[in-house]
Amino acid sequence: MSFILRRISTTKTGKQIVRDQPLPGDTITLGREGGNTIHIADLAVNPQHATITSADGRHVRVLASEGLGFDFNGRTVDVADVDSAAGAELRFGGHRLTIAREGDNVILLVERIDELSQSSKDVDEAKAFSLQGVMPGKRMGAWAFGILVLLAFLIGPIWAWSSFKSVDERPQGYHADKAWMSGPLSSAHASLKNDCQSCHVEPFVAVTDKACVGCHTGEHKAMSMAHANAPTAMLLAARHPPGVGERILAGFAKTFNKPQGRCVACHTEHEGAGPMLATPQKFCADCHDGMSARLLKAGFKPTVADAADFGTSHPEFRPMVRTAPGAKPVRAMPGKGALTDFDGLKFPHDVHLQATGGVARMAASFRGRYDFGKKLECGNCHRPEADGVRIKPVEMERDCAMCHSLAFETVGGVTRTLRHGEPDQVVADLTAYYRSTPPSRPLQLGGMERRRPGDYAQGQVYNIYFREVAMRPNRAEDAVRAVFSKGGACYDCHTIFAPQAGNKWRVQAVDQTPRFLTKGWFDHDAHKETDCADCHTAAPASKAATDLLVPGLRQCRDCHVGETGARVVKVETATESPCAMCHEYHSDGGKPWMPQRQRKKNVASVTDRPPRNVYGVTQVTGGDWRSLYDVTWRTPALAAARRGG
Amino acid sequence: MASLFPKRLLSRRSKATQTERVRERRHEGFLRYANFRWAKISGGLCLLIIVSYALIDVTPRPNGGSWYGYTLGTIGALLILWLTALGYRKRKMTSDYWSLKAWTSAHVYLGLSLIVIGTWHTGFQLGWNVHTLAWVLMMLVILSGLYGVIAYATLPAALSNNRDEMTQMQMLEAIRAFDRQLHAAAQPLTPEDTAPVLAALDEDPFAGGIAARLSGRYPRCATSAALVALATSRSSNADARDKVVGLLKQKEAALARLRQHLKIRALLEVWLYVHVPLTFALIAALSAHIISVFFYW
Repeated sequence: MSFILRRISTTKTGKQIVRDQPLPGDTITLGREGGNTIHIADLAVNPQHATITSADGRHVRVLASEGLGFDFNGRTVDVADVDSAAGAELRFGGHRLTIAREGDNVILLVERIDELSQSSKDVDEAKAFSLQGVMPGKRMGAWAFGILVLLAFLIGPIWAWSSFKSVDERPQGYHADKAWMSGPLSSAHASLKNDCQSCHVEPFVAVTDKACVGCHTGEHKAMSMAHANAPTAMLLAARHPPGVGERILAGFAKTFNKPQGRCVACHTEHEGAGPMLATPQKFCADCHDGMSARLLKAGFKPTVADAADFGTSHPEFRPMVRTAPGAKPVRAMPGKGALTDFDGLKFPHDVHLQATGGVARMAASFRGRYDFGKKLECGNCHRPEADGVRIKPVEMERDCAMCHSLAFETVGGVTRTLRHGEPDQVVADLTAYYRSTPPSRPLQLGGMERRRPGDYAQGQVYNIYFREVAMRPNRAEDAVRAVFSKGGACYDCHTIFAPQAGNKWRVQAVDQTPRFLTKGWFDHDAHKETDCADCHTAAPASKAATDLLVPGLRQCRDCHVGETGARVVKVETATESPCAMCHEYHSDGGKPWMPQRQRKKNVASVTDRPPRNVYGVTQVTGGDWRSLYDVTWRTPALAAARRGG
Repeated sequence: MASLFPKRLLSRRSKATQTERVRERRHEGFLRYANFRWAKISGGLCLLIIVSYALIDVTPRPNGGSWYGYTLGTIGALLILWLTALGYRKRKMTSDYWSLKAWTSAHVYLGLSLIVIGTWHTGFQLGWNVHTLAWVLMMLVILSGLYGVIAYATLPAALSNNRDEMTQMQMLEAIRAFDRQLHAAAQPLTPEDTAPVLAALDEDPFAGGIAARLSGRYPRCATSAALVALATSRSSNADARDKVVGLLKQKEAALARLRQHLKIRALLEVWLYVHVPLTFALIAALSAHIISVFFYW
């Protein structure tokens, strides 16, 4: 028996060359060192790695000589007994030793099975040198990200919608369709932020007015009275021809089924937290700019003048005036001389507002008793309503009687006054006075003894007294006539009608117009920093009560400019004024939108509502006070608005 | 044959070919293509949008739902789809006027203009919602693309310098040669000295994750470790050890060159791993954005 070392090398063409080499001796050493019988040039093999012996020529014992063992049947061992007839495979480092038997000989086949080094391994150049080897594939990433996004932001929201589509209020927690919310809801609708379905009822159907009036019952269903009464054809004719942008938008709207003229066209949502934005000027100007020409062209009669921007294009005010005493109020036609309004009173503003003269002196003498200064001010007689919006009608007792006393007698320290507003009572009081009371007897007159002649003064008193006594019963009629005639207490301020054919003394009725500008709202309270005369410029020089002292457009434009700041006159501190600052559309009796700096107050009143009577403006608005953002609307008291406020 | 084609068309085609030749000669890349034609078009588009945005008064305030917003949104969405089509176009060979270079040039500059189109479409109203998600994804895709353009403009020079006129397979072959020599030279070494050498041989030059590829740093490099171990070892024959140390140094240099090559290639390629998957995420978000608008119309 002998050991034969077999080496197999492979040519480039794949042909195998087998070389056999008989090994001398019975003990074969195996290792990396050159002195070994089997020299394996493998750094993973020890210099003297193992010895191979065979006692009987058939069974082979392989014994590891130094600490490092070898692999035998998949396990690392230090010693292995192999029946060469059955054969075995042993592994030393990167080499394989196959033991087999051929005839009498034990064949030891040594082959390198591992690459010399890692770098020697074959590589796929395209993959190894690029990032393909170390990164997950782009295609996989694309699918993963795409599906993830679709699940979270499309399937999820649709699922949320379908599971809650018929409920009023969703349970708390996150709902996937919140990811669709394009912006925060306004403060009025903030509580709906979880309940998309409360407005977005049907999928792919634009928010309908039905969703709005579900909560906003009442007049918000309709447009303003003027608009609601107008025929649809007229409203359509009023609209301005659309520009490029609007045609694009209309195209979008038509293509994608977004009807126009819905509530949300003006009352836009998802525009950010805080109060809903005021309806912009454009929504009015879209029709009212150049409207009359379009209406005429379409065969309608325009009833209002064109307006586009308060700063540049707004008609002159047309206050409600009485053109004759006792006449019905009609809309004034500005531009035809000074406007007059017959309220039935005689009142020269100029005399009362003079800094010198009788009125001023009298006012000064009352300082301390009334809130007078050195002269009369507007506010001494004209007082604002409790809400500050308007000025109360002048009342004789409250606003005039400080100076214009109707006292005619003092009885035991109590002053008797003529009854204001009741001429018949005045006549009766005066008649009674003259009948029942003799003239008080002067003390100087003493008893009824005769006088000494020459006592002139006493005689004068005597004469005056006794003439009075003699005349007394006849004087009542004279006194009544005097009161109602020129120089009398009534005549000074009122137009008097003398008794005629069965009529008694009559006084012209006084009609104080509470609201001259009925189409717009003017808030005196908002202007309290301004002097009255800054706007009511004609007042200090007005000689007659018939002068209409309501300011014109010119005075407003001193401060108010258009929404975008457009103006025709020089303005120092400009207040941008969209239409909605003075005009309100739905005619619900409330004050219109307010400028931003005041709106803060309003927000507080929504969240932290004051008691109902704080802003009680029953007289002005005709109804109960309520917040601008109340959602439970009531039928408005429009009757008052029809009467002119 | 000539009569089959109108003369004008033929002359135009030959003229186009001539222009193309000039471009080839000048090494005109996709950035300078046609004298920055697409840069001008895209810049003009951006300028038009910015100016018209300032001039057009959209009420109550600018947002994607105004007519201007719809217009920009439609342009943007179509543009995104067209830009994505580059991935398809680059796999198709054509001989038409629309060369891949022209297409890429348009892709880059129109893609950049999407920053303006998309952002101005939002009306600068951003929030935590799917609409802003689409915008963010779009911006990430554009920014990764911008990085890609910069990488393509600057890195190839570095790649070329590092290669030193070797192909990448030659670099690998050099390492293999050093490995073979190391293997032979390390035979006389003692087992404790061969262990580090063996570890160095066992080191995969392509090993290491994305971080190692991008940074080019391999702190647990077995070759460097072997170098340190053998330099301090006293156990084997000094001559044999010196020879192995010399070979290890050479292998380390070859390995450094290969790793620098891998780093630059990684920097050249990595943006695509953001650009492409996020593009599809963007298309998904864009679909959700558009569908959500119409769903809650």
